[in-house]
Amino acid sequence: MVALTLRLAFVAALLWAQAGFAQTENRPAEVQIKAAFLYKFGDFVQWPPAALARADAPFVIGVLAADDLAGALEQLVANRSVQGHPVAVRRVRRGEPLAGLHVLFIGQAESARLAETLAAARGQAVLTVTESENALAAGSMINFVAEDQRVRFDVALPSAERGQLKISSRLLAVARRVITS
Amino acid sequence: MAAPRQSISRKILAVKLATTLAALLIAIAAMVAYDLRLYRQSWINDLNTQAELLGQMTAPALSFDDPKVARENLALLRYRPKILAAAIYDARGRLFATYRQPAGEFPRLPEGDGVRVEGNDLVVFKRIVSDREILGTVYLRADYELFDRLLGYLGIAAIVTVLAMGVAYLFSRWVHRVLVRPVLAITRIATEVSEKRNYSLRAEKLTNDELGLLAESFNGMLAEIESATRGLQASNREAEREVGERRRAEEEVLRLNAELETRVKQRTIELQATNAELEAFCYSVSHDLRAPLRSIDGFSQALLEDFPKEVPEEASRYLGRIRASTQRMGQLIEDLLNLSKVSRGELARRDVDVGELARQVVADVQSREPARKVEVSVWDGMQAYADPRLLRAALENLIGNAWKFSAKAEQPRIEIGLLRDGQEATFFVRDNGAGFDMRYANKLFGAFQRLHSANEYQGTGIGLATVQRIVHRHGGRIWADATPGKGAVFFFTLAGRNDAAPAAKQEAAA
Repeated sequence: MVALTLRLAFVAALLWAQAGFAQTENRPAEVQIKAAFLYKFGDFVQWPPAALARADAPFVIGVLAADDLAGALEQLVANRSVQGHPVAVRRVRRGEPLAGLHVLFIGQAESARLAETLAAARGQAVLTVTESENALAAGSMINFVAEDQRVRFDVALPSAERGQLKISSRLLAVARRVITS
Repeated sequence: MAAPRQSISRKILAVKLATTLAALLIAIAAMVAYDLRLYRQSWINDLNTQAELLGQMTAPALSFDDPKVARENLALLRYRPKILAAAIYDARGRLFATYRQPAGEFPRLPEGDGVRVEGNDLVVFKRIVSDREILGTVYLRADYELFDRLLGYLGIAAIVTVLAMGVAYLFSRWVHRVLVRPVLAITRIATEVSEKRNYSLRAEKLTNDELGLLAESFNGMLAEIESATRGLQASNREAEREVGERRRAEEEVLRLNAELETRVKQRTIELQATNAELEAFCYSVSHDLRAPLRSIDGFSQALLEDFPKEVPEEASRYLGRIRASTQRMGQLIEDLLNLSKVSRGELARRDVDVGELARQVVADVQSREPARKVEVSVWDGMQAYADPRLLRAALENLIGNAWKFSAKAEQPRIEIGLLRDGQEATFFVRDNGAGFDMRYANKLFGAFQRLHSANEYQGTGIGLATVQRIVHRHGGRIWADATPGKGAVFFFTLAGRNDAAPAAKQEAAA
């Protein structure tokens, strides 16, 4: 039964992969990569039990000031799950309360007011992901960077600890840089 | 003797080595097969685990598109030198990271989960699955080393076999020393004993177990045989000695017999010569005596007839007496001549009808005294194997006696018959005449023996001696039974055909 499921999943993956090939001749657009990363971070981070108390509670990814990414993410997470929870994408406006979110992506457009937004998230069990320079210093936990035309990311462990989040060492292994203090 | 010894040792050795070899080969084959199977299984399991671990390890690298980390992860495989090459394919089937081998040498596309053998290598594909999503595929190529391992095993097997065979050989040598050699020793002694008949040999007792016991019992048996043989030889010698003695004794007896026979022959010849002389003398004397007697009788008769008046009556009476005496003497001489005749000459035996002979004799006697009335009965069917002339002489005497001695009986009766007692035939002549006193029976058959006076009964006393001689010449016996005044019976036997010869011999010797 498991083997059958795996085979079906494999066939689906092949189809998806070919769809991907058909879709873009070049590398996937940066937005799509970031969306996939954002979704996959969920597998390598441990939230406090209260954050995902109920089994059917959705895993909510909030997107602020990045509508294209939100769109890509919405497409990507349809019928997928993170740690057994269904994934939901919520587009967040500035000033909105961040309760219920597990991940919050803050787009580059918000760079100017980044510190403010991050401050609002501080103390909550929300994984904050940014794509701005010096965002980690401002209190972001993960920050996308571009390197050799590839999407990489840095991790700031102290910020995550403050949010009571535990980031898997396996994730840290593939991070470009890890700030530990 | 060397051949069976070689053979049994070799057989035991061969059996032992063959058994050891077979056991070893089977054990090694089973062990190798089991181990190779185990090795293959565990190696596959190991590689699968390795691939699984690698997959889990490289899952983040795949997720976050970081080939460098993936390569670093793969580089850890240097601690597993048996893994020759490795690669990670991403979800789209493209090579993501490689290890040890240029990218061109890897399969272009990943395959499903599985293990297969390619040449001397083991190839493993393993999907990297996370949250039911395929992130990529791990590819591992490892040195299978099955053949190397097999070769190694064969080497070990060869060494073990050599060692085991060596041990088995030593063991069989030991067995030979402990078990076979004592048996061979006994066998050798047994062969030697049966070949040389030397029972003084003894088997050496090499061990203290049943084989030693066997050697002991074998020796005991040999000792017994030895003593028995010795006893047998001694008794053989004794028997030989006895046989020799007996032979010597027999030779002595034969020699004595021969000597005796020679002496007897000599004596017989002497006796025969003497006898012949005597008889010749007797015959000639009797013969010569007859002539003067006849002269006396003749001249006496002439005197009586020619001078009947001149001779006084008394002289005439004397002359009568002279004549009677000369006649008696003539008779005596006649009888003596008969006796002599009986003794001489050969026996001419043949089948004789005794009854017929008896009847002729009776007729003769009757013709001489036709006036006498005597009742004579002669049995029928009396046969004998005898000399008819002599038998007739004997019957003449016996019947004559019976006739003579029954003269004074009121109703004289004579019976001639035969009694059969088994094979022996006994003839008898019975009368109811004067008989005689049995006290004188031993004198009956002597010459010139008379039981009655000549006045009573005429006779010369030579008749029964003649009869006895005839019977003896026939190998028979003669005896008599009588009661004075009532009669007498004379019995005689004549030896048959079979005992005629020795009887004749006996007679000749006498």
